[in-house]
Amino acid sequence: MHPALYVSKTGLSAQDTALTTTSNNLANVNTTGFKRERAVFQDLLYQIKRQPGGLTSQDSELPSGLQIGTGVRVVGTAKEFTQGSLQVTEQPLDIAVNGRGFLQVLLPDGTISYTRDGQFQLNSNGDIVTANGHPLEPAITVPDNTSSITIGTDGTVSTLVTGDTAPTVIGNITTVDFINPQGLEAIGNNLFRETGSSGDPQEGTPGLDGLGTLEQGMVESSNVEVVEELVNMITTQRAYEMNSKVVSTADQMLQYISQNI
Amino acid sequence: MDKALYISMSGAKQSMLAQQAHSNNLANVNTTGFKNDFAQARSMPVYGEHHPTRAYAMTERPGTNFQQGPLNETGRELDVAIKGDGWIAVQAPDGTEAYTRAGDLQTDSNGILRTGSGLAVLGNGGPIAVPPSAKMEVGADGTISVIPLGQPADAIAEIDRIKLVNPDSDTIEKGLDGLIRVKNGNPAAPIDANVRLEPGFLEGSNVNAVESLTEILSLARQYELHVKVMSTADQNSEAAARLLQIS
Repeated sequence: MHPALYVSKTGLSAQDTALTTTSNNLANVNTTGFKRERAVFQDLLYQIKRQPGGLTSQDSELPSGLQIGTGVRVVGTAKEFTQGSLQVTEQPLDIAVNGRGFLQVLLPDGTISYTRDGQFQLNSNGDIVTANGHPLEPAITVPDNTSSITIGTDGTVSTLVTGDTAPTVIGNITTVDFINPQGLEAIGNNLFRETGSSGDPQEGTPGLDGLGTLEQGMVESSNVEVVEELVNMITTQRAYEMNSKVVSTADQMLQYISQNI
Repeated sequence: MDKALYISMSGAKQSMLAQQAHSNNLANVNTTGFKNDFAQARSMPVYGEHHPTRAYAMTERPGTNFQQGPLNETGRELDVAIKGDGWIAVQAPDGTEAYTRAGDLQTDSNGILRTGSGLAVLGNGGPIAVPPSAKMEVGADGTISVIPLGQPADAIAEIDRIKLVNPDSDTIEKGLDGLIRVKNGNPAAPIDANVRLEPGFLEGSNVNAVESLTEILSLARQYELHVKVMSTADQNSEAAARLLQIS
């Protein structure tokens, strides 16, 4: 049929993917610890219809030939781990990572996942858990009759039990860093899982070895830039319209030839 | 039957090929660092022992438009765009050296610096390996410096320099994988110290969407004219056949 049909089809589906990425970013504009994604476009292979340098006669050759591209594809979506802005919440169990590093969360299947979302709560045992009830790793249990919880910038958790005069240290929160955070697999619920591409987790004390400090009473908001996303949406929509115009043009050409021959 | 039928048939076929070239440009209107391809038609007269009335048309790609695309600010520290002329040298999947303007860089799990499509970026001596670092900066001349993990902020270390080249635009062409390569017989382009990067920006596609779309629509009309000639040739031969009928 008409080759331009298939080329503009790749254009349409790539713009579709880009719009999905944009709408997911906008949907998560208020999600704590969310990292925006960007669709990476790449042109597809080129076909040689006529070889450049091919001989047209014994002593003349094609100067340029004809190589035609076959369209575009979305190679992948790249998560952008820029820092979101820190919002003060005054909640003692809200932790923001100021800089590099991820908090660790123990999943029910026994594996560790990673998050930048530091909105923690206590469950009935006094364990520090996420909003989904998954415990923080390393596990920290707050004793009964605690009047205040303090989390230091290096992750030291201390509590003051009613009747005591001095606070007691009940644990240390560690964070992990990856050489390539973009390679982490997002599994939803604000959690990430390590992959072959992210590299191994390197655990450390917050504030040391390039890891960011922990800030109690703050959360990291989403790093989605609303204006940027809306502008991307405009360009995506117009590119989509133009590619669909090519589809209808190719369709009309085919219709024309079948009606007139 | 008049052989003009074949001339208009080849004209219709070649305008479809030209449309594919333009629709490929349009499909890549949002592709980072894409350079649009030209398409032109060339007349191919048929020479021989006859009256020279036959000239077929042929579509060809005379080259690629290497004009700069728009610079879009992203703010990401590993996004680089080239200001003015020049190319970033990358290692193509077949191991050869190729050039691109798409500077959406990232590091993989081994610390190798790669483009968004996974090609290793070349430095002074092959691919660039970035050690685990707290902060990474790409300078305007392609110099990569990092603050190694666990070091104070003043312990900034220079790692490597991205190989930036600026070959003559008539010595390079777009290869089959969309990367730019030096044409056959030419040596790989030498490092050019004058190429300037703009960190925090990405270069958009240099496709002019309006131009491509107009070109596609005008080719569609040309195609209809070719088809018209084909049906006219058909009607002519029908008329001739009617004249010769023995009624």
